[in-house]
Amino acid sequence: MHLEIKETLQNHKNAALVAAAWCFIDIETGPGAGVTLSTQANGDRFKIEGRAIVPGVKTQDWVSEARILVEGEEYVGFVRTDGSFAVNDVPSGSYVVEVVTPTYRFEPVRVDITSKGKMRARLVNYIKTSEVIRQAYPLQMRANGPHTYFMKRETWGWTDFLMNPMVMMMVLPLLIIVLLPKVVNTNDPEMRKEMEQSMNMLNPNPELPDVSELMTKLFSGSKGSSKAGSSSKGTRPAVKRR
Amino acid sequence: MKVEHVSNSFFLCDPSFTFIEVVYHSALQGAAPSNHYVRRKHVDFRLPPFLEEQTKATAAMAKLIWFCLKCILLCSTIEAVFEDQVGKFDWRQQYIGKVRFSHFDTHVQSSKKVLLATENNVFASINTRTGELFWRHVDMTGPEGNIDALLQHGQDAVLVVGDGRQLRSWDINIGGLNWEIVLDSGSFQSACLVGYQDTVKHVAVLKKTVISLHYLSNGHQKWIENLPESETVDFQAVYSGGNGEVYVLGVVPHSHIAIVAYSLDDGEIIKQVILTPWLSNIQASCVVIGQGMLTCVDSAAVSLYTLDLHVQSQMTQIPLQVPTTMKPKAFYFIKLPDVSSSLVWTGLNLTQWSSFLKKDDSVGYRAMVQTEDHTLTFIQQPGRVMWTREEALSDVVTMEMVDLPLTGTQAELEGEFGKKADGLLSMLLKRLSSQLILLQAWIAHLWKLFYDARKPRSLVKNDVTIENLSRDEFNLQKMMVMVTASGKLFGIDSKTGTILWRHYLDNIPSNAAFKLMVQRTTAHFPHPPQCTLLIKDKDTGLATLHVFNPIFGKKSHVTPPALLQPMLQSLMLPIMDQEYAKVLLLVDDQYKVSAFPSTKNVLQQLQEMASSIFFYLVDSNQGKLSGYRLRTDLSTELIWEIVMPTEVQRIVSVKGKRPNEHVHSQGRVMGDRSVLYKYLNPNLLAVVTESTDLHPERSFIGILLIDGVTGRIIHEAVQRKTRGPVHVVHSENWVVYEYWSTKSRRNEFSVIELYEGMELYNSTVFSSLDRPHAPQVLQQSYIFPSSISTMEATLTEKGITSRHLLIGLPSGGILSLPKMFLDPRRPEIMSEQSREENLIPYAPELLIRSEWFINYNQTVSRVRGIYTAPSGLESTCLVVAYGLDIYQTRVYPSKQFDVLKDDYDYMLISSVLFALFFATMISKRLAEVKLLNRAWR
Repeated sequence: MHLEIKETLQNHKNAALVAAAWCFIDIETGPGAGVTLSTQANGDRFKIEGRAIVPGVKTQDWVSEARILVEGEEYVGFVRTDGSFAVNDVPSGSYVVEVVTPTYRFEPVRVDITSKGKMRARLVNYIKTSEVIRQAYPLQMRANGPHTYFMKRETWGWTDFLMNPMVMMMVLPLLIIVLLPKVVNTNDPEMRKEMEQSMNMLNPNPELPDVSELMTKLFSGSKGSSKAGSSSKGTRPAVKRR
Repeated sequence: MKVEHVSNSFFLCDPSFTFIEVVYHSALQGAAPSNHYVRRKHVDFRLPPFLEEQTKATAAMAKLIWFCLKCILLCSTIEAVFEDQVGKFDWRQQYIGKVRFSHFDTHVQSSKKVLLATENNVFASINTRTGELFWRHVDMTGPEGNIDALLQHGQDAVLVVGDGRQLRSWDINIGGLNWEIVLDSGSFQSACLVGYQDTVKHVAVLKKTVISLHYLSNGHQKWIENLPESETVDFQAVYSGGNGEVYVLGVVPHSHIAIVAYSLDDGEIIKQVILTPWLSNIQASCVVIGQGMLTCVDSAAVSLYTLDLHVQSQMTQIPLQVPTTMKPKAFYFIKLPDVSSSLVWTGLNLTQWSSFLKKDDSVGYRAMVQTEDHTLTFIQQPGRVMWTREEALSDVVTMEMVDLPLTGTQAELEGEFGKKADGLLSMLLKRLSSQLILLQAWIAHLWKLFYDARKPRSLVKNDVTIENLSRDEFNLQKMMVMVTASGKLFGIDSKTGTILWRHYLDNIPSNAAFKLMVQRTTAHFPHPPQCTLLIKDKDTGLATLHVFNPIFGKKSHVTPPALLQPMLQSLMLPIMDQEYAKVLLLVDDQYKVSAFPSTKNVLQQLQEMASSIFFYLVDSNQGKLSGYRLRTDLSTELIWEIVMPTEVQRIVSVKGKRPNEHVHSQGRVMGDRSVLYKYLNPNLLAVVTESTDLHPERSFIGILLIDGVTGRIIHEAVQRKTRGPVHVVHSENWVVYEYWSTKSRRNEFSVIELYEGMELYNSTVFSSLDRPHAPQVLQQSYIFPSSISTMEATLTEKGITSRHLLIGLPSGGILSLPKMFLDPRRPEIMSEQSREENLIPYAPELLIRSEWFINYNQTVSRVRGIYTAPSGLESTCLVVAYGLDIYQTRVYPSKQFDVLKDDYDYMLISSVLFALFFATMISKRLAEVKLLNRAWR
């Protein structure tokens, strides 16, 4: 319906409107005979133009597998050997334009075309659809790197092994058991009292998460002190005592 | 006790065609084995009281461990391909479609290129040595991308696209676009290159009423001229001989040819009329050969007419001596007296022909032939076939994956159980001998492995042939049976992509609908596997059946029944005849049902079960959805009917569940350790409707969940300000659908999940007729940042593995989206319980991560369908995506939990073991020494 109204409008004041549309449609249209025909057909069809750039890569290495997709596969364009592109015969509306290549990643851009053929490019925001952050038009699509399709294989290293939570859980308590009696002077009555208090807190407390927090606190607290002798040899005295 | 089943039968997405889906409802008394049997188990997640104390004591630690496990679990659901897995179990085949134009690149002597433009709107360059693609450009589908003409000059190829709408010039070396211009509207007729004094600088485009001349270098228009008398004369061809003139040939049928000559510089007209009362179409019967020699054939008078365009005198007639019995597939060479080129006349579809002078001055030739079944064959000099391309595979309609048969030895072992026992001793001997054979085979296999391991990897070639085909250990290798639109059937090995058999079905109607069904799998050994293809003419509704062996492609000796009435529907029942073939029911337009195979045994079984076999038909033209029940005399009775007013909305798709789907867990464990039971109705149908009003403000899509047996509407949802195309996946207790939101101009996903609640009504068996409580319905929607082409869910053997959605995108990627992200229970605010349940907090936008593309950079153009099949491994699901290309891979939605991973570190494990062993040895020694020392002390 919108289109019909617009077309009648166009017929009424054809001179101005046709001229406005003209600059967007055909730069290289022939003289004479074709003019009336072309304006009727192109009356509400426009051209989206732009340039795609992959920094540091020659265009001829990637253009053959690149495509310009406008709103899914509704309109399709191809990239010229110099990296520029144009998608012809697009009616007015709002479209998401993307450059699709299997190797490089491009950010999509939303292009709004008014019924008069005015173009505007903005960032794609699917959540706040009416938000306008202007982009350059004709479009400047710059690849932000190659696609990362692959996961890195987990490589094994000593640090990974040691930093593994399970290992940490096993090793740290062991260290605490071994080292705490050495670090803390158990003969000190004040310390003993404190210890007893904390033990009392541990046992009857039904709220379990707090205990775990306490444990972690304990661990983190003792870390600094335990690090001093945290070599595997440090465990041997404990074995000796038994 | 009753169990209903939904047979998920085929469904054609064409509104003019009557949609039919079938439900049947069978009374299985007790222990009848069935795929759909839903077993309910009560699960107690609480620990016994004496353990509770202990639990509390260790809870702190357990909590930590649990948290870590959760982290690991969460990470593990993110699936991706590793770089070293490329090509290991996946393959892609690229196709272009049925060729319309082709051109050998001859501008360089040693060029290996041939340019092809196809009816699928694809423009490609193919290596003539190997038949592989150099590059390919896939344009829009439909008339806008239709390729009208292909011209080549030097390293430029000029294409006229979209009924003369666009003119494009491609660089054929790098496959990039040189320039592209929009032409004036007008129906396209012909195009040609225009040369002058051995240089070609222009291209002429002829339309119905105008001719225009463009520069070859940049596409700019040099001049445009209206054609004289274009109302009466039908201008069809344009020709330029290289002397600075462009000839336009028009014809007034059965009267005369009009030749209009334009000068290259300014388009001046010279006009001439030549009487040719016998001619009606220039394009069909004339060709310009040599130096401007127009040659026409008059098939009625069996003679050739020639005319020199430069001289423009009268036409000269050459009577032909053609054998009266012109065989359709034969070559006829005619040497014309005054023209130094030869005409080839062939019944084959010769797409491109070229002759060249070889080094020793003898004439060589090469030809590319396209046959009726869309096979492209390249033939060189001594009749040698260089390569063939099965272009029919660019248009796969439907497919199935069939298990491969066991190896001979395994089959031997299997056969032992089938035979009648003839004595204890002989049985024992037989068993021993067969095990000996197995041992022998195993040793041979080991030897081969050892032998192959010494050779470099590239030399080890496992040529798959139909003879050495056998099932592998985990049933990962299957036979892909593909049905193409041209009526050619293919059997492809899923591991390598080798075409193992092909079978061309003659006289397939152009608008045929296909449905492929596996009637008997390979599991019933002495009986061969059996597939049935139903081919139905969409206009008349008349159908034929083709029964074949899916492993060898041979037509089965079983004669299918002749179907005289137009068919409405066909459905597979799980009941089998004595030969283990599943019964196929065919419903005709009189609502009469016939069975195939229709042995006495089958009919008897049908009569017994008739009262519990239900099916439904969809008539989208009248917006009618109706449910039927089978009577004992194989007639039908209408049970329910739902009418959607066609002036408001139309039914676009009806989806049931897949019959071979298994659901492992009956419920979900909540944060408080109670169980939320899933509503697992095997008869549930998801019906999608679209509004007929397409105005963005008023359009909507609706989704109805209907019980196929009773016709009860379980749930109804309407999405306003949305429109199709809608893609639906229906599985387990959920329906996921995708649509276009016209209000926000974005694609959105919506998920519906159905739950019975905290208690099950009948935990042993599901019956549609006895379910008093309506299920709880949860729904949530998300934004998806891309449009989609097709969607399917992964499928595994036992349904334990978490589900992923496989989404085909227009960019060619196949995205594997964890179903976990489409969960209507995703909370907006995280609570302790939802954290316990591993729910991801709600975010409106679903992300596309490039690690989730299962096909990495092997894009699949115009993906039309994704087929998933379970393998013998629970973790693994086989995936085939088809469209213009075919891509096969495996996915592991929960990672490979049941096999050792590729990167399993044998070195580490063994070194750790050895280290531990030595450590114990050393410490033992040390302890001994120490004890000794202590004893001395």
